[in-house]
Amino acid sequence: MGYPHQPHPRENTVLSRYFGDAEARSVDGWKSRGGYKALQSALQMDPLAVVNVVKDSGLRGRGGAGFPTGLKWSFMKLGDGKPHYLCCNADESEPGTFKDREIMRWTPHALVEGVAIGAYAIGAETAYIYIRGEFTEPLAIMEQAVADARAAGIIGKNAMGSGKTIDVWVHKGAGAYICGEETALMNSLEGKRGNPRIKPPFPAVSGLFGMPTTINNVETLAAVPHILNHGAEWYKKLSRPDNPKSTGTKLWSVCGNVQRPGNYEVEMGFPFGEFLHDLCGGALPGRKLKAVIPGGSSVPIITIAEAEAGVMDYEGMVACGTMLGSAGCIVFDDAQSMPRQIARLARFYAHESCAQCTQCREGTAWTTKILERMVAGDGTMEDFDTLLSIADNMTGKTICVLSDSCAVPVVSGIQRFRHEFEALIKRTTIHVVPQVIA
Amino acid sequence: MTETPGISLTIEGRPVTVAPGTTILEAAKTAGVLIPHYCYHPGLPVAGVCRMCLVDVEKSPKLAPACATAVMEGQVVHVHSEKAREARKGVLEMLLINHPLDCPICDQSGECELQDYTYQEGRADSRYREPKRFNPVDDFGGDVLYVQNRCILCTRCVRFMDDIAHDSVLNVSERGDRAYIGQTEDKGLTHPWAANVVDLCPVGALLSKDFLNKARAWELDRSASVCTGCTQGCNIIVETRDNTVMRLRPRSNESVNHFFMCDHGRASYRWMNRRDRLESPSILGAGGHAIVDWDVALAGAARILKGKRVFVLASPSLSNEALHLLARLIRTSGGAGAFRVEQGSEAPLPGVADLALRADRAANVAGAELLGFTRHAAPLDLMQAGDALVIADADLVEGDLAALGRAAATVVIGTAMPALLPTADILLPIANVVEEEGTFTNLRGRVQRFLQANAAPGLARPSWYALADLLGAMGESAGYFVASDVFAAMAASEPAFAGLSYDSLGLRGLPVVDAPALTEAAR
Amino acid sequence: MSHGPSASGGALVKAGAHGHDVPHEPVFVGETAARLETLIERYPNRQAALLPALWMLQEARGWVSEAGMVEVAQQLALTPAYVKGVVTFYTMYHQHPVGKYFIQVCTTSPCHVCGAEDVVKAFLEQTGCGELGVTSDDGKFTVIEVECLGACGFATPVMVNSDFLESITPNRVAEVLARYP
Repeated sequence: MGYPHQPHPRENTVLSRYFGDAEARSVDGWKSRGGYKALQSALQMDPLAVVNVVKDSGLRGRGGAGFPTGLKWSFMKLGDGKPHYLCCNADESEPGTFKDREIMRWTPHALVEGVAIGAYAIGAETAYIYIRGEFTEPLAIMEQAVADARAAGIIGKNAMGSGKTIDVWVHKGAGAYICGEETALMNSLEGKRGNPRIKPPFPAVSGLFGMPTTINNVETLAAVPHILNHGAEWYKKLSRPDNPKSTGTKLWSVCGNVQRPGNYEVEMGFPFGEFLHDLCGGALPGRKLKAVIPGGSSVPIITIAEAEAGVMDYEGMVACGTMLGSAGCIVFDDAQSMPRQIARLARFYAHESCAQCTQCREGTAWTTKILERMVAGDGTMEDFDTLLSIADNMTGKTICVLSDSCAVPVVSGIQRFRHEFEALIKRTTIHVVPQVIA
Repeated sequence: MTETPGISLTIEGRPVTVAPGTTILEAAKTAGVLIPHYCYHPGLPVAGVCRMCLVDVEKSPKLAPACATAVMEGQVVHVHSEKAREARKGVLEMLLINHPLDCPICDQSGECELQDYTYQEGRADSRYREPKRFNPVDDFGGDVLYVQNRCILCTRCVRFMDDIAHDSVLNVSERGDRAYIGQTEDKGLTHPWAANVVDLCPVGALLSKDFLNKARAWELDRSASVCTGCTQGCNIIVETRDNTVMRLRPRSNESVNHFFMCDHGRASYRWMNRRDRLESPSILGAGGHAIVDWDVALAGAARILKGKRVFVLASPSLSNEALHLLARLIRTSGGAGAFRVEQGSEAPLPGVADLALRADRAANVAGAELLGFTRHAAPLDLMQAGDALVIADADLVEGDLAALGRAAATVVIGTAMPALLPTADILLPIANVVEEEGTFTNLRGRVQRFLQANAAPGLARPSWYALADLLGAMGESAGYFVASDVFAAMAASEPAFAGLSYDSLGLRGLPVVDAPALTEAAR
Repeated sequence: MSHGPSASGGALVKAGAHGHDVPHEPVFVGETAARLETLIERYPNRQAALLPALWMLQEARGWVSEAGMVEVAQQLALTPAYVKGVVTFYTMYHQHPVGKYFIQVCTTSPCHVCGAEDVVKAFLEQTGCGELGVTSDDGKFTVIEVECLGACGFATPVMVNSDFLESITPNRVAEVLARYP
C-alpha cells in the first residue's frame, strides 16, 4: 500500500499489508500475524522441494533483472562440501525505487524469514543482508529484528529447533549505487571497492569469498514465505490470465509529479493508465503528465500516452517500449524540461561509475558534460549524433550495465523528446514552464 | 602426464588449437594475431577493464573481452570485423578525451600503445568539445613519476604491486572520471622491484625519473643481454644511443625472470658508461706505463707468465668464455684461480617463483665455480709466493694489499684499472659486458647469451679475444675467430657445458648438464 | 591531490581547517577493539570487516583520517594504501573533518523534479555555509548534495548525521535546523 496512504481497494496487499503497523516489527507481533510459519514448514521439507515450490510459483527477481528465483536457487549444488552463502541485496539505490526500504522498516521479520528460507533452500549456513549506509532507520530496525530472531531461536545454530545453522548478519554499505550490482555487492562485502566482477564465473559457482553464492533482492525474499504458505498455484494466479511469465504481486514505488507518491502493491498485469491516474491520483492541479520512467532510472523513458496503454508486468512493460526494472516509477509533468531531467540522470550515473571500464568512466562524464552544455543553451545539432554515438559505445560493452543505464535515458529521451532539445539549441520557447537553469 | 585434448577454433580465418582454459587473446597470439589491449598483461591477473580487446565471436550477440573469455570448441572469432573495430575506435576516443595529447614532450612517445593503436585505427579527430580534466604530476617515490593526465586507469601498476610485489602501496582512488592511481602520504614506490610499473604502464603515465627527457624511444638501439647485477641472470634489453647505455629493461623469459627485473639491476647501466676505462695496452717501464701495440703487450705478458705458477684473481662477472680461457692459463702453469663475490641483501619478488635480487652481486658465480675457480672471502690468501698474478677485471679491497707483495709479477686484464691496485707490469684493456658477446651461467645453472650493444673504447678487445691471443703468445693453440668458437671449445672440454652451443642456447638459454644438482646445492 | 573540472564530482566535502591537525588517538583499544574482533567473527576473513571498521572509526572521530586508515589497516592486516582505495570509493566516509551536523540533501531526478534545488539553497543560506561542501564558520554545519537517498516518494529526503528526514521543503528548513543546536 502507498504508505502513508490507506490501501487503495484495487491493491492486493500481500507484502505491504502491515506497512504502517509498528507492532508487526517484533517477533511476537510478526508471529501473531502469521509469521515464521513458512520457515517452520520449510525446515521440515527437503531443500530441493522448497526450491521447486518457488520455481513453480513463477517468482522472478524483484531487483531489476527479473531472473526466475527458483531457477537461480537450483544452480547451487547442494552437498559440494563448500560453504554456501546467501546475500540479500538491500542496497536499494535505483533512483525512483524505495520499496525495499518500506519492507525493512515495517516488516523486518518478513525479510528475516525469507532470508532464512532462502538460505536453507540453497544450503547456506550464513546469509548477509547488505543494506545501503544511508538507510539508517531500516538498518537499525533490521539489526534489531535479526537480534530478536536470534534470541528467539528462529535463526542461529539451531534454527527453530531444526538442528540447522542459519546465521544472518546485517552488513552496512557506505554510499555507492553500484554496490546494488550483485558482484559489486560481493566485493563490497569482502571489504573491497565495489567494483563489478567479470562474469563468468557466475556467483553460483564463485561468488562471495569465492564460494557458491545466491543473491536475491529484498522484495523477492520477502515474497517467499507467502508462496510457501499459500502455494505456488495461488501465486501463479496473481497475474494476467494470458501471461504466465509474470506472477505474483508487485510493489511499485511512485514518485515525481503525481498527487499521491508512495508504494503500491498490485497484481502483475495491472493496467498502467488506471494505476497512474486512479491509484496515484494523476497529475497535480493544473498540470498534465508528460513522461514516465516506470522501472527505476535505468529503463527507457516513455511518454504518458505510451504508459497509459501499458500493462504492469515484465512483458507488458517491454511491449510499451520500456522495462519493469525495479518498478520505481518516476513521473514527469508538463512543467519539467526533459533535457534538464535527462542531464540530471546522466550526472547521477557519472557520479556512480566505479571507474573500471573505459566507456563507463569516460562516457558517463562526457555525456553529462554535453547534456549540461545543451541545457545551458550552448548545444548544437551535432550534439545529437555525438550523444547517440557515445551511447552506442556505452551499450553492451562493459563489465556491468551501469554505462548502458546511463545511455538508456539519453537514447529514449532524444527519441521521444527531441523537440525539447532542439528548442534549447534554437533558443525557441516551447510549452515548458521556464525554470531557472543552474 | 596425460595428454589433454586441445580446443580448436578459428581466429581471423586462421585455425588454432590451444589448451582448454586459454583465453581468446592468448590463443590469437599463437595464430599470429595481435588483439589490441591495454589492461591485459600476461604477467598479471586479468582485470578486463580497458575494454580494448573486445572481439566479435560468431553467434554471440555481444562483443567479448578477449582477455577474459576462454576459448570454446568451434568458435569463430573476428578481431577486425566492423563491429569490433568500431568498438575499439570508441574506446580509443574515450581514452583520449581527457588526455593532454602532449606526445611531443612525452617520454613514452614512440613506444606508447595509446599512440600506436590510435594511429592504427583510432579516429582522425575528436568530437570532444568540453573542458579537459587536469591534474598535477605526482612523485610516486623510488624512480617513478605519475603523470595523471595521461593515465588510462588500466591498473597494471596496482595489480603488479598487489599481486606480484605483495606490497600494496598503490590503489585506485575515488571513482568515475575522478578516479586516479593513488598512494598514502608516507609510502612511496620503494619496493626493490617497483620500477617494473614503469615498463608495465602502456602509456606515458608512469615514467622513470632516471630516464626522464634523456632520449626518444626511436633513437635507441636495442640488444639482448643478461643483467650482471646478481646471480639471477634476468634477461634484459640494453638500450643505447651514441655508444652510451641509456637504460636497461627486462626481456621476458619464463624460466628466469618472467617479465621483470629489479631496480638494482636497472641502475647497473651506470658503470657500463664509466669513462675511466683502460683503452690501450701498456707496459710498465722506467718512466711509468708506456702504451704499446697489442702484440708487444701480449708478448711481454707471455714472457712474464711463462715458467711461473699463474694465480688468477677473477671477476665473477666475466663471461664463461673468458673464464674458460683463464682456466686453461691456470692449468698449463699448475696454478690456481679464485674470486670474491660482493654481497648485498636479498630481495625476492614474491609473486614469481624463484625470482630474487640475489645476495651474490655478480653475474657468473656459478660459471666461475663450474670452471674451477675457488670462491673465497680473501682470495689472494690462496696465492703462493712467487706466483705471477693475473687480475682479470677484479677489484681489490684494503685487505688484499699486503698479499700483493708475494706476487712475482702482476698482469691486469680488465676494463679499468682495478681499484686500489698501485701498479701492474702489464695492462691489457678489454671490453665490458655490453661491448662484447658471451655467456653467463646463472645460479640455477642456466647458460644464457648476451650480445654486443656498444663498441669498446680505444684499443680494448673482447675478453675472449685478448685471452685467446695471450694463450697463443704463450704457445698454446687458441685460434678462435668469434666468441662461439671459444664456447664450442669449452663445450668440448668442460663436461658441464657438453652439448651446448650458441645455436642451441638461442636467446633464452639452457641449463648446464648438472643444473639440477646445482639447484639442489643452492637450496 | 587536486582535481580539475569534472562533470560528476558531486559536492565533495572540501578540505577545511577544522580538526585536520588533531593528532590521531587510537580508536581500536579496549571495548572498541573487542567489538571489532566480535564483528570479524561474522566473516571468514578479517578484510571483510573493513567497511564496518571504517564506520567505527568515523563514529569515534567524526571523519576518516589517513592516520585512522593506518590504524584500520593494522587491525585487519591490510595496507594503508589499500584501505584508502576503499575509503575513497564510498561517499559516506568523510575524508575531511565536517561540521557537527552533516546535512545531505538528495537532488537526484525524482527529488529534482520536486524542487530539491530550492531545499539545498535554503540549507546553504540558513546554515551560513554558503557553498556546498564547506563547513560553516561556527563549525556546526556542512551541507552537501547527495545522490538518490532511496526515499523518492518522500521528496525531498534529507539526512542530518544519521537522522533521516522526509518530505523536506524550503519552508521546513528553519524548523529542521532548530532541532540541531
